Amino acid sequence: MFVLREFCRACAYALSAIAFVVILGCSRRDPHVLTFAGSAVGKEGDAIRLQLDRFGKIHPDIRVEVQPTPDAANHRHQLYLQWLNARAADPDVLQLDVVWTPEFAAAGWILDLDRFHPQLEDFFPATLTANHWNGALYALPWFVDAGMLYWRADVIARPPADVDDLRRLAADGMRDHGIPFGFVWQGARYEGLVTVFLEQLGAFGGEILDDRGRVVVDSDRAVDALTQMRDWIYTDGIVPASVLTWQEEQVRLAFQNGQAVFMRNWPYAYSLLQDAAQSRVAGRFRVAPIPAAKGGSPTAALGGSALAINANSGDSAAAYALIEYLLEPSQLLERARLVGEYPPRPTMYATGGLGDALQIDPAEARRIIEDAVPRPVTPVYSELSQILQIALHRALTRQQEPRAALQDAAAGMRKLLERFELDAAPR
Amino acid sequence: MRRVTEITGGRQMQRTEARLGWAMALPALSVIALVAIGPILWAIWESLHLHDLRMPWLGRRFIGAQNYIEAFSDSRFWDAIGHTVVFAAASVTIELVVGLALAMAVDSMTRGRGVVRTAMLLPWAVPTVVVGLVWRFMFETPGGLVNTILVRAGVTAPPIWFADPVAAWVPVILADVWKTAPFVAILLLAGLQVIDTSLYEAAQIDGASSWQQFTRITLPLLRPALLVALIFRTVDAFRVFDVIYVMTGGGPGTATEPIALYTFSALLENLRFGFGSALSVIIFTVTFVLALVAIRLMGRRALLEPMS
Repeated sequence: MFVLREFCRACAYALSAIAFVVILGCSRRDPHVLTFAGSAVGKEGDAIRLQLDRFGKIHPDIRVEVQPTPDAANHRHQLYLQWLNARAADPDVLQLDVVWTPEFAAAGWILDLDRFHPQLEDFFPATLTANHWNGALYALPWFVDAGMLYWRADVIARPPADVDDLRRLAADGMRDHGIPFGFVWQGARYEGLVTVFLEQLGAFGGEILDDRGRVVVDSDRAVDALTQMRDWIYTDGIVPASVLTWQEEQVRLAFQNGQAVFMRNWPYAYSLLQDAAQSRVAGRFRVAPIPAAKGGSPTAALGGSALAINANSGDSAAAYALIEYLLEPSQLLERARLVGEYPPRPTMYATGGLGDALQIDPAEARRIIEDAVPRPVTPVYSELSQILQIALHRALTRQQEPRAALQDAAAGMRKLLERFELDAAPR
Repeated sequence: MRRVTEITGGRQMQRTEARLGWAMALPALSVIALVAIGPILWAIWESLHLHDLRMPWLGRRFIGAQNYIEAFSDSRFWDAIGHTVVFAAASVTIELVVGLALAMAVDSMTRGRGVVRTAMLLPWAVPTVVVGLVWRFMFETPGGLVNTILVRAGVTAPPIWFADPVAAWVPVILADVWKTAPFVAILLLAGLQVIDTSLYEAAQIDGASSWQQFTRITLPLLRPALLVALIFRTVDAFRVFDVIYVMTGGGPGTATEPIALYTFSALLENLRFGFGSALSVIIFTVTFVLALVAIRLMGRRALLEPMS
């Protein structure tokens, strides 16, 4: 009896100690601390800390803290979902990949920004489209990415006029200059492959979802686009089959080592390729829009980041002030210089500063970004993309014919939209 | 009267002790309930719901067996089951053969057996993710070690390993065999060492060839150890995740995607908690049945006492 009572008392002490620690951990934070979640490592981390500190000096009543998040997009996405699902008040401001905005908006996790009456005149239109859901704006573009065709100016005289020209020039370059690969792009089974396909799809005049949100990825034009991608590898021999395992960096390394006539990549590669210390093609390449086929138009996949406000933020006005500050042209220019990211404001491309910051001809960059199209604007984008990645990779590794693969993908996408009751949703 | 009190007192004492015993065991029992039984029941309950973290507007509806119906009518699910079976069959077979060869080689050594045995276990001690990365690196194209060697040896078009639905299995299975064959070898070595050497001497006197000695003495007497290795490896292979996640990610397409990877993708990438839980429950059930079969087999006396 006695021992039992002692034991119970010990347990009670232990429990109250645990409860105390839990209560301490839950105490409310100071309402004037804002938290920012996004890329906070390397150059990006330096740039954001610099700008947040400066914002804190202008607004002495607000202190901004960085909430570190993983750098890999899918890991960050997963973490955001856990926080937002738990209705956490932190972070107040979130850096979103452009394809996440509709998902978070549809779930009610981020604030509709129209209430703050944002100035929207000076943004590339496509970047705003990508951040809309149900007719309202949920995030403001922070920087843009667009797919570009890098070409070897020392091997060919001009950029290709259309897809047939590209095939010819690639083959000529390989033959006449002994370059092993004609064209390299991101072909591994991941998001990058979808962006490459989206560009070829646009080049042939096709779409993944039409303007009413219906799945049209099994159209003849889509089949033509995918068939061409496959034939580049196995029939024309201008694309090495190895690209089917490559992501951005392997592609860049091949081009950087002088092994390819053409490369499809994001703007980040530009300054790295110009660095003569590591690049064999420094000063010997240029960029151009990705060429179109008959019936289509040059298309660049739109990437980049946007800034949004947590719907449970304790101080949304301060959060919006922070977003406005980060989007000021002077801050964007600084970010371009420090990190090499492209601002979403077209007028900045007309001024001299940006060219120096990015080491690229701003007019050339602007022309490419203006061709950029968003990936499907839907809350289920990630799953949609996964379905497409599998189908594309099956066709490109010759496990399925392009038409059959795209039909499977379309069926899967329709089922997905139906499951989430988005098949009839207004867009 | 006095005796009665003593007896009841004794009983009371016993009851108190029993109660104390339960109280002492309670923390351990509640931990087991909390971390093992609770989550399993929760997963089963969850698998009967439509619960998608990304679609809070759909709520968390009870949908009965709908998730299971979806799984069983999903070709990717059956493909994944097929890939798991192929992987398990191929890797376990090769591991048993290689493990047996290694065990017999070490068993026949007269000196330095201890050192070799320890060295042999090293691959097994390397984390699977590291093993996967190293093997992927060797099979990378172009420029990977394997294809460089193949080209030097005169192969004109070596495979693009991870872009070929069949060839992609080669590095995956090799990595798994490299890592786990030593484990099998150690298990079998223990089995070999308890075989009485006089049996071989007698066989030799009777004029049995080495092959006859192997099939008539070694294999039958090694049966229990072989069975243990087979069961351990099969259950493990059925749950394969990390080595494939790191090496192929299930690709090309979904050509090397095992069931555990499909579950991971549904549950943690697409955050479909209901459907993902249904897949987990299916894996759990199959592994559980395999384990039950294993326990039954291993519990038999025939297993403990080698056949004559």
